Amino acid sequence: MQRMACSFPDEVLEHVFSFVQCDNDRNAISTVCKSWYKIERWSRRRVFVGNCYAISPDMVIRRFPDVRSIELKGKPHFADFNLVPDGWGGYVAPWISAMAAAYPWLEEIRLKRMVITDENLELISKSFKNFKVLVLSSCEGFSTDGLAAIAANCRNLRELDLRESEVEDLSGHWLKHFPDDYTSLVSLNIACLGCEVSFSALERLVGRCPNLRTLRLNRAVPLDKLANLLRRAPQLVELGTGAYSSELRPDVFSNLSGAFSGCKELKSLSGFWDVVPGYLPAVYPICCRLTTLNLSYATIQSPDLIKLVGQCQNLQRLWVLDYIEDAGLDAVAASCKDLRELRVFPSDPYGPEPNVPLTEQGLVSISEGCSKLQSVLYFCRQMSNAALMTIARNRPNMTRFRLCIIEPGTPDYLTLQPLDVGFGAIVEHCKDLQRLSLSGLLTDLVFEYIGTYAKKLEMLSVAFAGESDLGLHHVLSGCEKLRKLEIRDCPFGDKALLANAAKLETMRSLWMSSCSVTFGACKLLGQKMPRLNVEVIDERGTPDSRPESCPIDKLYIYRTVAGSRFDMPGFVWTIDEDSAMRLS
Amino acid sequence: MHPNEVKILNKCLCQMSEAVMAVVKPEMKSYIWLQTADGSVQQVEEEVAVFCPMICREVIQTGMGSSKNYAISLPQRVNPAILGLVLDYCRFHHVPGRSNKECKNFDEKFIRMDTKRLCELTSAADSLQLKPLVDITSRALARIIEGKTPEEIRETFHLPDDLTEEEKLEPLRNITDDPRIRLLNRLYARKRKELKEREKLKNVETVEEQLDDRSVDDLLSFINGGDGDTKVARTNRSKKKNRRRKDQSKVLHDLSSACHVGEVSNGLLASSSTCSKLQDSAVTSFSPNVEFDDGDIDDDIDPAMKEELDREVEDFARRLNSDWPERMQEILSLGQERRLMPICMGKYMSVDQR
Repeated sequence: MQRMACSFPDEVLEHVFSFVQCDNDRNAISTVCKSWYKIERWSRRRVFVGNCYAISPDMVIRRFPDVRSIELKGKPHFADFNLVPDGWGGYVAPWISAMAAAYPWLEEIRLKRMVITDENLELISKSFKNFKVLVLSSCEGFSTDGLAAIAANCRNLRELDLRESEVEDLSGHWLKHFPDDYTSLVSLNIACLGCEVSFSALERLVGRCPNLRTLRLNRAVPLDKLANLLRRAPQLVELGTGAYSSELRPDVFSNLSGAFSGCKELKSLSGFWDVVPGYLPAVYPICCRLTTLNLSYATIQSPDLIKLVGQCQNLQRLWVLDYIEDAGLDAVAASCKDLRELRVFPSDPYGPEPNVPLTEQGLVSISEGCSKLQSVLYFCRQMSNAALMTIARNRPNMTRFRLCIIEPGTPDYLTLQPLDVGFGAIVEHCKDLQRLSLSGLLTDLVFEYIGTYAKKLEMLSVAFAGESDLGLHHVLSGCEKLRKLEIRDCPFGDKALLANAAKLETMRSLWMSSCSVTFGACKLLGQKMPRLNVEVIDERGTPDSRPESCPIDKLYIYRTVAGSRFDMPGFVWTIDEDSAMRLS
Repeated sequence: MHPNEVKILNKCLCQMSEAVMAVVKPEMKSYIWLQTADGSVQQVEEEVAVFCPMICREVIQTGMGSSKNYAISLPQRVNPAILGLVLDYCRFHHVPGRSNKECKNFDEKFIRMDTKRLCELTSAADSLQLKPLVDITSRALARIIEGKTPEEIRETFHLPDDLTEEEKLEPLRNITDDPRIRLLNRLYARKRKELKEREKLKNVETVEEQLDDRSVDDLLSFINGGDGDTKVARTNRSKKKNRRRKDQSKVLHDLSSACHVGEVSNGLLASSSTCSKLQDSAVTSFSPNVEFDDGDIDDDIDPAMKEELDREVEDFARRLNSDWPERMQEILSLGQERRLMPICMGKYMSVDQR
């Protein structure tokens, strides 16, 4: 093999690497050869850790000595559906203390589904002089006191984003802790906060930060105050309103409408709690510029929705309640030709009967009218194989398809057959599908299709589906790129799991709850696979007190080089190589 | 240096050298002599050459380059062919007043060359301190690197594979380097091919029945597993290869790949003693060269422990084996009737939310 005639000095190679930012590419670079490994690790500024227990903070710090931006994820996705008991884990504390010592120049921390305390927030605010970005997505464990510490001490803060976190609202005064000479705010998302924030402090903050581009308010900010805020920040690109309701008054309306018109850069709207339809026309002037519209809290009916969405010709992302109805989706399909992502949420998921005329037809219309559609999350009550096949043929460019038929085990409503061939068509036609959620009546056949065709699939969510271990086996043996698999209430047991044990090391994680996996199989896996953590989550007490063939409640398996974790609560059991059952 | 800065510096130098050269060659363009590491010397228009900061500095600080005998020695990384390329770049960019669009178009075309040459050019540009050229060549190299696996990168740039397995196997690693995963992928690829062939031959219904039929035998065979990682089992393997089940010669079932996957995963359910009569399943389609050393997984476990584990595995496999036939009957009867099973276990919120 001919050697490269030239030899690069390290700085040149580092310069080349500086143009490669994507995590996968950086990871590839780091395992090319010794010299590239060395250069890459010293020049790596951003690290993404998809599972905070897959590696220890010390190992990350040893490997990458000069990191400026870190992203960590904690609990598994099914925690969003209350399937992970409280206290399971995902504590960020060890990471913060390790990084406080090792990365004084850390600028960005992004966390998802982790537990972060006020002490952790205070430590962040005091340890990193150049701290700029804090994103806490679906996190918990902290209060507004922690936010006050961030506001007070992070002089260079640009982004504070609390998306969907659970925050203990002690006081709205935390906003006042931003110093009067602090002007660098670019993005603020407090939509998840329950209580009122100090509005005057908010107004002053917004007024003195000329670079503010994103402002997502919480429900407590009244509509009649919105206009003033907008006038202080006409450069806003993304806005989340507070409650969108007020007594209908022409002066309030015209004030609001004028304020919206003044925002020439506004591209994204959200919020819209408690919408009073009479105020919707206030946003009409800016609709044509909108690329993102999140109406998932807006309990407005189809005619109003149609009027609104019909004006958003440049819409790329739409999140809406099923109040939009099939008719509304027809309108979207006709007007929003640039639509890339659609999410339709259920307004009444627990009701026994459909409350709105939203069926599979809406999704079919969208698939026909929106040629750029890539990502779908769709809650509905009926589906047919024919519709799924039509959608698949219309939109082979889909990369994310999550269908949630509300009642488990619902068959094709036309033929009463399982929906196997419909989903089969989806995976066969959408060759770049990365994420898939299944629902409805499904046999092992759908998994055979998935294993055969879904070669780019990275994440699969399954509930109340399948008939035997064959189903699970098809997925584990066929989906080459599978990283995350989450399963609940399926008749999958030990065999497929054990037969595909090696596959588990190539994935980030596997979640199985209310299936038929026995404790014996878990012990076997834990003993034989040192690079996997096999966590048995069972609130009924120690699994040893039941026969080994008794199915366990919940199973969470993830690959790790950090060994067993030390922060497990009493209801989590893990099995080590020394074949003793570890409790914590 | 920014191209504009270089241009300004160049202009001053031009004026200086013109004044000097005026004595020798009044009406002609000024030329500079450059010597590459191989000894060859060439003449280059001065205004072009001094676009390179390194050459510019040599001219100013040492006064070299004015004649053949006093040619400026270029760094070793600049050979004549590459020098030509560098000068082409300088020849275009040293001219003032070019629009951004013009420059961009030139750069895009200029950068199109094979990877080896691109590397040489990057290296040369760096040694000549010509930062704009370093930038565009570095970006081009970055684009070549993007999307490639480490193996592909090594091939492209002729780099050695000198990292240890330990160093490669970290959670932030690229998994296709793991030999076990490579094997798995090969198995998947083969199985995919065979599934495709099977699809062409049969319709879905019949395939399904065969699936069910198959899985009993195959599962039982790997549960009783002849191809585990124990000595006794290994001697049985070569005997197995030659036996074929008559009705299974063409069609390869999913789960027979599970046999190998099962072996790959350390022969999890391998039994050291029993070789049931159902062991002669259709594993013959896999090349006999699929040797797999999974010994490294067990390295940490001491022999006594390992024996105990193997005993547990055996025991467990036997238990699995005993109730499997009944279970299979259940499944087969379900499959044929396709009754709607009320699977619902109470109300639930489906697997996704905002």
